[in-house]
Amino acid sequence: MAIVEQDRPAGPLALPAGDGEHREREPLGVFSRPVHARGWRSWLFTVDHKRIGIMYGAAALFFLILGGVPALLIRAQLAGPNGTVLTADQYNQVMTMHGTVMIFLVVMPIGACFINYLVPLQIGARDVAFPRLNALSFWTFLFGGLFLNLSWILGGAPDGGWFSYAPNTGVVFSPTHGMDFWALTIIITGIASSVGAVNLIVTMLNMRAPGMSLMRMPIFTWMALVTQFLLLFAIPVLTVAAFLLFFDRRFGANFFDVSQGADPLLWQHLFWIFGHPEVYLMILPAFGIVSEVLPVFARKPLFGYPFVVFSGVAIAFMGFGVWAHHMFASGLGPVSVAAFALATMFIAVPTGVKIINWVATMWGGRLKFDPAMLFAIALVLQFTLGGLSGVTHAIAPADTQQTDTYYIVAHFHYVLFGGALFGFVAGWYFWWPKVFGYKLNRTLGLVHFWWMVIGFNLTFGFMHILGLQGMPRRIYTYADGMGWNLWNMVSTAGAFILATSFIVFFVNIFVSRKHKTHEVDPWDARSIEWMTSSPPPAHNFDEIPVVHHLDEFWYRKYAEDDDGQLVQIATGDEVYRKELAQAEQDHAAEHMHMPSVSYWPIVFSAGLPLVGLGMIFNLGLAVLGGLVSLVALFGWVLEPSVAPEDSHGPAPASEEEAVSVG
Amino acid sequence: MQMPAAYEVAPDDFGEGHHTTTGLSNTKLGMWAFLGSECLLFGGLISTYMLYRGRVAAGPGPEDVFDIPFTSISSFVLLMSSLTMVLAVVSIAQGDLKRFRTWVLTTAFLGAVFVSGQAYEFTVFYREGLGFTTSLFSSSFYVLTGFHGVHVTFGIMMLLALFGLSLRGRLGVGQAETVEIVGLYWHFVDIVWIVIFTVVYLIPA
Amino acid sequence: MSRRRDARRWLLAVGVGLVLVLTACAEDAPQDTLQPKGPEAQTIHNLIVPIFVVAGVVGLLVFAAVAFVMVKYRAGKFHATDVPEQVHGNPKLEIGWTILPAIIMAAIAVPTVSVIFDLASKPTDAMEINVVGQQWWWEFDYPGTNVVTANEIVIPAGEPVVVNITSRDVIHSFWVPGLNGKKDAVPGRTSSITIQADEPGRYMGACTEYCGLSHANMRIVAVALTPDDFDEWLANQETAAAAPTGADARAGLEVFNGRGCGACHMIDGAGVTQQPQVVPLVSGVAPNLTHLMSRDVFAGAMFPLKNPDGTLNRPLLEAWLRNSPAMKPMYPQGGRGMPAQGLTEQQIDDLVAYLSTLK
Repeated sequence: MAIVEQDRPAGPLALPAGDGEHREREPLGVFSRPVHARGWRSWLFTVDHKRIGIMYGAAALFFLILGGVPALLIRAQLAGPNGTVLTADQYNQVMTMHGTVMIFLVVMPIGACFINYLVPLQIGARDVAFPRLNALSFWTFLFGGLFLNLSWILGGAPDGGWFSYAPNTGVVFSPTHGMDFWALTIIITGIASSVGAVNLIVTMLNMRAPGMSLMRMPIFTWMALVTQFLLLFAIPVLTVAAFLLFFDRRFGANFFDVSQGADPLLWQHLFWIFGHPEVYLMILPAFGIVSEVLPVFARKPLFGYPFVVFSGVAIAFMGFGVWAHHMFASGLGPVSVAAFALATMFIAVPTGVKIINWVATMWGGRLKFDPAMLFAIALVLQFTLGGLSGVTHAIAPADTQQTDTYYIVAHFHYVLFGGALFGFVAGWYFWWPKVFGYKLNRTLGLVHFWWMVIGFNLTFGFMHILGLQGMPRRIYTYADGMGWNLWNMVSTAGAFILATSFIVFFVNIFVSRKHKTHEVDPWDARSIEWMTSSPPPAHNFDEIPVVHHLDEFWYRKYAEDDDGQLVQIATGDEVYRKELAQAEQDHAAEHMHMPSVSYWPIVFSAGLPLVGLGMIFNLGLAVLGGLVSLVALFGWVLEPSVAPEDSHGPAPASEEEAVSVG
Repeated sequence: MQMPAAYEVAPDDFGEGHHTTTGLSNTKLGMWAFLGSECLLFGGLISTYMLYRGRVAAGPGPEDVFDIPFTSISSFVLLMSSLTMVLAVVSIAQGDLKRFRTWVLTTAFLGAVFVSGQAYEFTVFYREGLGFTTSLFSSSFYVLTGFHGVHVTFGIMMLLALFGLSLRGRLGVGQAETVEIVGLYWHFVDIVWIVIFTVVYLIPA
Repeated sequence: MSRRRDARRWLLAVGVGLVLVLTACAEDAPQDTLQPKGPEAQTIHNLIVPIFVVAGVVGLLVFAAVAFVMVKYRAGKFHATDVPEQVHGNPKLEIGWTILPAIIMAAIAVPTVSVIFDLASKPTDAMEINVVGQQWWWEFDYPGTNVVTANEIVIPAGEPVVVNITSRDVIHSFWVPGLNGKKDAVPGRTSSITIQADEPGRYMGACTEYCGLSHANMRIVAVALTPDDFDEWLANQETAAAAPTGADARAGLEVFNGRGCGACHMIDGAGVTQQPQVVPLVSGVAPNLTHLMSRDVFAGAMFPLKNPDGTLNRPLLEAWLRNSPAMKPMYPQGGRGMPAQGLTEQQIDDLVAYLSTLK
């Protein structure tokens, strides 16, 4: 059923039906705010959380290629003993960039893509709390990522590993500018993450629809909230570490200079105090996605919703107390090791609870195996494997045999790729029809699924064996006769299968996009983001829904008949139309003004990589970048919060003043 | 982007918080969240200093350079600025713009005195042989206090921005909360200084 | 028909191939973590094997449950309008399966903690060896003697040996999986572990903390000798190198001294036990060559020094002297690794002749 209304923009990818660049002079003259922007500019200056979410996803897929090609190079180099595809130096750069790009520019942004797009829709808000800050988060992340990749052509990429252990990352041992790029990228993308975290926490706490108490929030939103708190408290610690490293490298400070009496473990502590919460904030959005997908395709509510919520919260809390399990071999002393080993074991409890609850959700359901569901089930199984190998790492003495071997590589790829990324793909298949108005082709989706599952397990499954056979991580080559040849070859073959599976995905997008149906509720879904058109209008809901239940949408479609049997009382489409009619009745002759587009977020963000390049090459450039950002800041503060086109009374003072200056 | 000319967004969805789920306005909640994040930033810096404060290599140590009376006075000045900030918030809430301008300028001035004191102190230390790269103690001392100084400077900029807005007539009783939020930031920076002052200057290494 | 037969043949081949692949698991892996060769490694092994079993059972249960659910509750078996019961949860069950993993974890935790403290306790009056990591080779220093050696850590079999591990530049990690878990070599810190080999033999190990360019080529061989052989080895190591007798060997010594090889490499080693110290730019410390020929590997245990029959592997050693950076990625311009020496073939021959005398 196509629902296309004349007065609704055709979709996020369509040109907005504006009337050109209409501007109005403000008292301050310079800092007027455009009302509309057309075409590509409407994307550059947008403050719409949906467009920002889409751009996050697109940028992350772009970086997925930039992080995936290094992965294939790694596998090509290690396919057999004494590989000659890469030199040692090239391998170390490629390995570092693969890790850094995949963590900071792929997995985290894909999480941000889902969270940005879905959270306001799931809580019944019109947008996020600070739309311009949202745009700033995105552009800062994008420019930070591009800045990092500039290092390839400006004297060499970072070569210290994504973990950048001091003192190997000092100027003495890493004389190229690579690690400078790395440290500055961490700071820049950290700004993006922190700003986003503040913004989304406020959105989730403050902008819920009437009736939506915390325990009626969709589970994905809950996991997003936990994720943002993790970001809020973890990122600054990494920022400190990156600053210290950069001061060491650029200004001759000596935080990690052992000859001055520095302690290299300081870096490890700072890094992992960030790094462990980091791994949970990468997986939790995917957990949220699975917890949304399974109930829809099982046609049953999430089993034990409060337990799933609190296990997510528990994981977050405990996640800050287990960082030293990355340092079991570094000589902490038996008391610390024992304490962190225990903490790490018990973090398995909330994780296990989630897995059992997912199985219980499917138990007794009516399972439909669409691609989204299959990817979600694959996550459950693969994450279980990754979690179990994680428990074996918690056994500190065993970890001293496993750490820094391919057993670890297998473990974290099972949780990050087999977990997080599979969850994200499930989410893409699931929400694609809502976002773009068309379903992804099911057959191609199934091909994509099997191809990806086979490729993934071939690539990483046998790395468990490699690791237990003693193959260390981060080696650019290995000798013949170590018993590692066969599984490395299998793994390399798997990696290329895995890479081609993404091509199937892109083909699927391309093929399916012609079949737009604009169905409101293609999956018989449960939460309120489905109660609006596909794609949603700029203002999300014509009528903000009033929430009475968790799974509000479901309860508007199904009710018990006189015999206590559940029967369908309305289709999703009918529910939506009812809301539409209600909205037209309520709000005839009133105006809706959404925040207008703004130039300043992208300008502000553009200044940051200039500052970064300036810090490395030429301080004059840094001053220029600083000025660009400063001008943007002034423009930001002084522009009115909405374009002065149809406002009621005086334009309200800018809402982000205080935060944006700080 | 053209809206269907039919519906009204409740203004509380965007910033001008009269009605939010928690009852706190978005900006205030955002500032609290941001300050929570800042706690961890300073936590990392303070931990680094604590680890390295005794490692002076061949350079001067804390007891050689610190001038406790001088720093105590500048710390007192910063603490007083918290008081004047409170007075500024009270005045704007009462709609007394004149008094508000007085207090907000006083606050900015006191902050500037503190930052100047820090700049003077750094210069003296530098002359006494405590360069940025001299020792672990010096690197971590300058980075910790420097980060704090930058935070104070940002605060001063915000205060001056408030002053400027009030001159342009863009700040009235309706925007009292903006002042309050800048005040939150200012008090936070003060509290952090109390911790830093205690850890760096008062507790003997 | 014939096609089908071909297909069958292919299937057979694939099947046989699979069997071979699976048996390859049991292929000899000299750095295997699951083949303990000493009591410490055995302790770890005894701890982890039951946990692997528990984890395997839990994993199988989850897989079985998911498979069961997917078969039993697939939508195709039900009428399209049939709506399943909307079960929101079951607190009793939930609490049950929160407590259950906690109990499993507690059961695992007790032995883990006891093993952590067991392994951390130092045996009294055990022999000690100071291990120093450096980009990209290991130095082994026997306290109380003047013995300093490289790449091969020689220990007496059947006796515990305490190794005190540190580094001169970046973080490395000392790991011989057959003898114990790994321990990082952190500059400015010393960490100790106990290793012990039950039987004489050669045990492979490697640096496992990423330490820059040639991290992959920083390997270790632990050589366990019977106590008698060990004493003999130690006695030999303590002797100074004899003056060369042959003409070419004497010429080789002159090359060694004339080229300033002694700036980094020690020969003789008498009275020199280098205290582990941090030298950010590592020049002036390179493997001690006094008894080079008592070792079977060189250049970070990357290359065999001897042929299988025990004779000198001349081509490799000559190639190393000819152009060492071409053989092993290093950073000699930064003082990290051996620079190319630009020696003539005659000088190389003389040097090899001299080095051959260093038994």
